[in-house]
Amino acid sequence: MSVLAVEAVTKSFGGLVAVDHVTLRLESGEVRGLIGSNGAGKSTLLDLVFGRLQPDSGTIGFGDTDVSRLPPAARARLGMGLVLQVPSVFPDLTVEQNLRLGAFPKRLSSPAGNPAGEIDRALELVELAPLRKERAGHLSHGRRQWLEIGMVLLTRPRLLLLDEPTSGMTRAESRHTASLLRQLQAAGDVAAMIVVEHNIEFVGLVSDEVTVMHRGAVLADGTIEKVQADPAVQAAYLGRLH
Amino acid sequence: MQPVGDLTEGRPPEPAAAPGRRTRRTAEIAFLVLLVALPLLSNDTFLIDRFGRYFLFAVFAISVDLIWGYGGMFTFGHAAFFGGGGYLVAMLTTRTGSFLPVPFWIALPLAVAAAAVLALAMSYFVFSGREALRGVEFAVVTLAVAVLAERLTNAGGAVTGGQNGILMQTRLGIPGVISLHRGYGFYALTGILLVAAYLGVQRFIRSRPGLVLRGIRDNEDRIDLLGYDVAQVKRRAFVLSGALAALAGALFHVHEGIVSPGAVGVSSSTLVLLWVVLGGRGTLLGPVVGALLLPHLTASLSGTLLDTWLVVVGVILVAVITLLPAGLLGFLGKEPEP
Repeated sequence: MSVLAVEAVTKSFGGLVAVDHVTLRLESGEVRGLIGSNGAGKSTLLDLVFGRLQPDSGTIGFGDTDVSRLPPAARARLGMGLVLQVPSVFPDLTVEQNLRLGAFPKRLSSPAGNPAGEIDRALELVELAPLRKERAGHLSHGRRQWLEIGMVLLTRPRLLLLDEPTSGMTRAESRHTASLLRQLQAAGDVAAMIVVEHNIEFVGLVSDEVTVMHRGAVLADGTIEKVQADPAVQAAYLGRLH
Repeated sequence: MQPVGDLTEGRPPEPAAAPGRRTRRTAEIAFLVLLVALPLLSNDTFLIDRFGRYFLFAVFAISVDLIWGYGGMFTFGHAAFFGGGGYLVAMLTTRTGSFLPVPFWIALPLAVAAAAVLALAMSYFVFSGREALRGVEFAVVTLAVAVLAERLTNAGGAVTGGQNGILMQTRLGIPGVISLHRGYGFYALTGILLVAAYLGVQRFIRSRPGLVLRGIRDNEDRIDLLGYDVAQVKRRAFVLSGALAALAGALFHVHEGIVSPGAVGVSSSTLVLLWVVLGGRGTLLGPVVGALLLPHLTASLSGTLLDTWLVVVGVILVAVITLLPAGLLGFLGKEPEP
């Protein structure tokens, strides 16, 4: 069974069709790059998958559950994790407190447990161990992004959605992020990932398969080499497809 | 970088609190106890009694700081709980009916429980569903609650006593055993309540729901995206805050011997915000200082500067808030709560 099954999902804003009958399946172990020009509908699709937006039509299946009408928190509890383009952390809390919020059971009726070991490992993973007592608001943009990734990882997601995770990062930070995601994939901590990106080099580093979106619809999919060779993709990227 | 392991394996025990954190907690509690003990330097029973009243203001300020300073829920109507506690006790102890009147020590828990139920009902209305209120919308609703409470108590006829309110003969204490209604008895009762409320709220803030509450203050959307039930956490804090305000308000109005519509209205709700802002919201200790300092300053100046005291108090407030926007003890908020 697919980890994620998006079936003919459509979303319009007034007269603008942002996502147009998109169908997308993600299998276990897969990292899917989602690319396209600005306004192609990538982030809207991610918001639909996570429930920040409700589709006008179509269905979204997560494992064997139809999550099409579930709110984001319910999807998160089922095992979805979302990393936003602009780092979304808790600026007045410490790095460690941010991670604790990721690690704690989300139902307050469940025992809190003791996530210290998981937090220590996450701190090492995102290279923030020396800054564990620092306020998140004092971190650089790149470190805040890693903190968010660490926090979302501690929710133990089966499906990780990343919306332009390297936006605003230096090249070295982007490469480090790619390495981080590759390690997650190799270790099997996350069943599948969708990475929305403009940075083709980054996409090539983390993704096995790429889906190209254009004007809300899927234009092409396949390996990065295949889609780069696709004349329709070239035309879309060069602005000749109308 | 360490290889990625199974992030769910092994759960070693939480490391013991760092010495710095323990020192800070101890220092804060010591400062609070010092504040509570400070009036004992005077032999003036009137002053001692007056500080007993301020201690109840401080409990009220803590209740507001819990939801505003730590939860980001700006409220314009919390006097509805403070004054409401007073009204509930007054009605339960003075009105006659099937089971009324009841003794004060039965009326008090009933009043606090009723305030908690009201807070729960209100929080279901404002925090639940996709149209949950936050920010300015929430503040406007609380403002409406304060206005409504004042109107209702004004128009309540024989039940609420209308604009005259309700007079109470109830005395705090155990008849024939101990009087806690005035002077040192009242001071001891309220001082203990203040320390207990402080420690209780501090414990809540440092708990898992408390950390989630602080997360809501910082970034409510992220808390939701992590999978927490935002409404549930807000409800818990709001109910605790409402009950605490009602407890303080019930004791205060019994001590005063009267409760009237002004107690539940906008002006009382605004006054508590001033105490919290003056002391430093989100510091817990700051609102206590604000609630002791401002009423004391007001009472002292109004006795000496008969015509200008209000101006002087206003200038002092503006100066403090301009020079120390985070409040007198705002520096405590610069270090994250352990």
